[in-house]
Amino acid sequence: MLPKGRSSGTGTGSSSHSPGDASHMSAGRGRGSARGRGGHGGGGGADGRAGSAKGKVYAPELTFSLCDYPGEPSCVVFFSGCNFDCGYCQNWRLKKQSPDQLADLREIEEALRRNTLITACKVSGGEPLLQPKALAELASCARSLGLKFGVDTNGSRPTELGSLIPILDLVSVDVKTKLDDREYRRITGVSLPRAEDVRKTLATVIASGAYADLRMVVIPGYNDTRDVAESIGGDLRSMGYIEKAGKGGASFTLVEFVPENAEGEGFRKLSPPPVERLKQIACWLGIPRVMIRHRSLGFMVPA
Amino acid sequence: MTETILNGRSPPAVRRSDGVIVPFDKGLIVKSLLKETQLVKVVYGIPPMKEEDAIRIADEVEEEIKSMRLKMLSGPLIRELVNVKLLEHGFASHRNVYTRVGMPLYEVYLIDNSQGYESRENANLQPNPETFHKKKADFLSKESYLLILPPHIADAHLRGDIHLHDLEYWGTRPFCQDWDLRYFFHYGLMPDGTGTHTSVAGPAKHAEVAILHAAKVLGAAQTNFAGGQGFFNFTVFMAPYLMDFSDEEIHQLAQMFLYEMTQLYVARGGQPVFSSIQVESGVPKVWQDAPVVSHGKVWKDLRYGDLEGKVHDFALALLDEYLKGDAVGKMFNFPKPEVVLRSRYWNEYEDVMTRAAQLSAKFGSTYYDNMIPSYRGGEESVSCFQCCAYAFSEDGKSESFQRKIMFEDGAHFSMGSLQVVTLNLPRIAYKSGGDDAKLIEELQRSMSIAKEAILIKDRLMRTQYERGLIPFASQRPRGAPPAVDLDNLSMTIGFTGMNEVVEYMTGYQLHEHPSAQKLALRILIEMDRIRGAFCEETGRKFSIARTPAESVAQRFAVSDLIHYPKLARDLIKGDVSGSLPALGETKDLPVYYTNGSHVNVSANVPLDQRLEIEHRFFPILKGGDIFHVWLGEANPDPEALLKLNRKISQSWIGYWSHTKDITMCRSCGYVGGGLYEKCPTCSSTSIKSYSRITGYYQDVSSWNAAKRQELRDRYRIKLS
Repeated sequence: MLPKGRSSGTGTGSSSHSPGDASHMSAGRGRGSARGRGGHGGGGGADGRAGSAKGKVYAPELTFSLCDYPGEPSCVVFFSGCNFDCGYCQNWRLKKQSPDQLADLREIEEALRRNTLITACKVSGGEPLLQPKALAELASCARSLGLKFGVDTNGSRPTELGSLIPILDLVSVDVKTKLDDREYRRITGVSLPRAEDVRKTLATVIASGAYADLRMVVIPGYNDTRDVAESIGGDLRSMGYIEKAGKGGASFTLVEFVPENAEGEGFRKLSPPPVERLKQIACWLGIPRVMIRHRSLGFMVPA
Repeated sequence: MTETILNGRSPPAVRRSDGVIVPFDKGLIVKSLLKETQLVKVVYGIPPMKEEDAIRIADEVEEEIKSMRLKMLSGPLIRELVNVKLLEHGFASHRNVYTRVGMPLYEVYLIDNSQGYESRENANLQPNPETFHKKKADFLSKESYLLILPPHIADAHLRGDIHLHDLEYWGTRPFCQDWDLRYFFHYGLMPDGTGTHTSVAGPAKHAEVAILHAAKVLGAAQTNFAGGQGFFNFTVFMAPYLMDFSDEEIHQLAQMFLYEMTQLYVARGGQPVFSSIQVESGVPKVWQDAPVVSHGKVWKDLRYGDLEGKVHDFALALLDEYLKGDAVGKMFNFPKPEVVLRSRYWNEYEDVMTRAAQLSAKFGSTYYDNMIPSYRGGEESVSCFQCCAYAFSEDGKSESFQRKIMFEDGAHFSMGSLQVVTLNLPRIAYKSGGDDAKLIEELQRSMSIAKEAILIKDRLMRTQYERGLIPFASQRPRGAPPAVDLDNLSMTIGFTGMNEVVEYMTGYQLHEHPSAQKLALRILIEMDRIRGAFCEETGRKFSIARTPAESVAQRFAVSDLIHYPKLARDLIKGDVSGSLPALGETKDLPVYYTNGSHVNVSANVPLDQRLEIEHRFFPILKGGDIFHVWLGEANPDPEALLKLNRKISQSWIGYWSHTKDITMCRSCGYVGGGLYEKCPTCSSTSIKSYSRITGYYQDVSSWNAAKRQELRDRYRIKLS
């Protein structure tokens, strides 16, 4: 009888939003019109061509958010296409790019320009760093509008991130599990995820001036062990996390896994982790500024 | 024993509704006809029945009864037979006043079992013995008032052209009131208004007593008023009692108040008082130099401006306690905290603003009363939002204003609404046939009926008030001026379905095309012009407001499906096709019109664009409006929400809230964001879901079908 539960924080790229049908950009959906007289906003700029033309980006959705850019009301732009295949992803509809998802960058920029309620723009996905040019263009536009600009990443594109990092205010890195190839393979569903790349990404973000918003979606039976937590904690310490966190420039958030939003049947049958478990993991991590995000607690609550 | 079987020559004995059994006597029919039809003089201004007519009717009734060979007879049955004869002889108006009022036994049965339409008309009424009693009394009251009202007004209500709110209280209670606490801190408290049935308390000398008096004022007031009861300037007027108090003690007092207001489960058929408090973070300019009134006196050497620190501490403490929730972690849904926004508070009291945002993020309970837009009257006036988002104000220009600020001879503010009548705007559009000029004509006609109804209410209330029958309102402790000034109450004309009007007239809903927005604005400006003319003509305060329309949005939709099925079918929101087959059987259908001049709740429109459309209506809707932010997020970030509030406060939105859906598990005690069918933690299905219905939070299971449909349709910031 009631609408399906909404929840946050189980996606690839750590996006808090599952875009689903929350699109303001998809042409002609017109959910707002009971009689389907055409929706709000312009078309997605689908021109039928495959491949990324200039000024175009695979970005089928954008939405207003109070939970994607810490501390800022933001506009979240969802880029489609992902190089991971996590079974628990809440944004799984965005894993693949398709021509009808091609949007005109100028239209996205226009949406940012006229939105008087936001102070930041966040690109999520999908994996945003698969389209670095569009990302760079959007970043400079957002900054010229006086908006903070942040990006979600699964950590697999350290090179692209490295060249963009000077114009980013915040990077949210999804730490899937401990930084080990085998563990990563198990969770991301692809044969060659390189934990080494994630390591490089983390090091880049921690060394940069951007806020390091590190997160792990805690999935019971996958990454909720003492071994995983201690390993991640150790890695982060060696990368200078503690120093950066000491200056208020970094945090590590343990995110409640919300089964009903997952793609894979097996994941949907899991139970969400209780708050006590997240608190336990926070202790095992052994680093400062660990936050918990849980439906019964709130957004980023200190552990 | 009563079923005396007779041979048909004389009727059986009569079981009367006043509790006796007596032999049939047709003389009693004549007597009652002559006495009771006197009412047509009062109600319709026509002559009562002549004796020869009454005798003729009584004779015919007797013949009728004899021929019926009845085995038993009752007063009500005889009365119905008399009614039939009255109609046969062309005494329709006399029949109206002679008839019985009441309800079928089956309905009574349903009410006692908390079933049927009546059980969901007001989500704030929970099933309990008091409620069942109230429902039955309400039913009887409503029917009576519809018979007493001039037929064209009663018919307009029944047909669904207009809605007379709180009809059950039509002849007995004004609508709502925002109280001036200084009055009670100076004169003390008589909950019954006369001091004859309750003890009489002198003015509070201690903080605990002041807090309890405040709670009891609202409880007592609720017995005299139909709608919400609140305190404007609550934190300011409480401050003199907090002078020597530590922060911990102030928190304790704040907590006491929230518990009192949510546990005084005694109002109108067993429900908490529908209450609100205006939370100022500091002392508004207009009160800075006003003398403090408390402890039974007007202080000579103390001004409210001197107490700003305590006002601030109390505001913070209240919000802290709201944030804590009750002993099981559930929100306090009353008193609604109306947190005032002023430009300087953003700089000086960001701590209060932050707490307010945290409360929105946790429970959604904060309401923002935005004084920043110039139409709110700025620092030189007194104004407030309360109840279900009705707004009241007094500008600083009147002569009496300064006297009230200074509490000269007990002069004080008394803001509220006398009565709300809501227009079915889509109906007006249907009648216009799509012609703009005709639309305005119909609007004028509909508003005139509303005005006429409210003026009738005004006369009724005046009579009741003068006879001392609204004693808490008319009380005059120790020669004080009366607590409530009827002349100052607003006469509120509300409306619902602006979105559907413009959809019918232009082919577009509000969010779909600028032409639709333009027409809505034109209609509102026209309504405001007509309102202005009403004020001039009557010398009274008429105002235009968005109606909360908890049941009206559904009632109008259902009545238009009956009277304008072809036109209404395409405009009504919700599950129209699913509802049509059930139309004859129940009125509790999942169909509705969009409230006030809001954008369709399901419209896929970004928040900024919805704000852009709706904020332009606020300066015209001085009688009240609300901007809803439906949060889809289970975990909104309070800091981001704070910044969003700051942005919204720069617009013309005068009043808004963030609605966060909340689920509470009765098995494991989980309380968290989002709506679920089972507990996310323990999978129990014994859960309660809470969300904001029009202007307050309540358990979703007590909502009517239309509002539950609307909850499903709401387009939230985020979906999954």
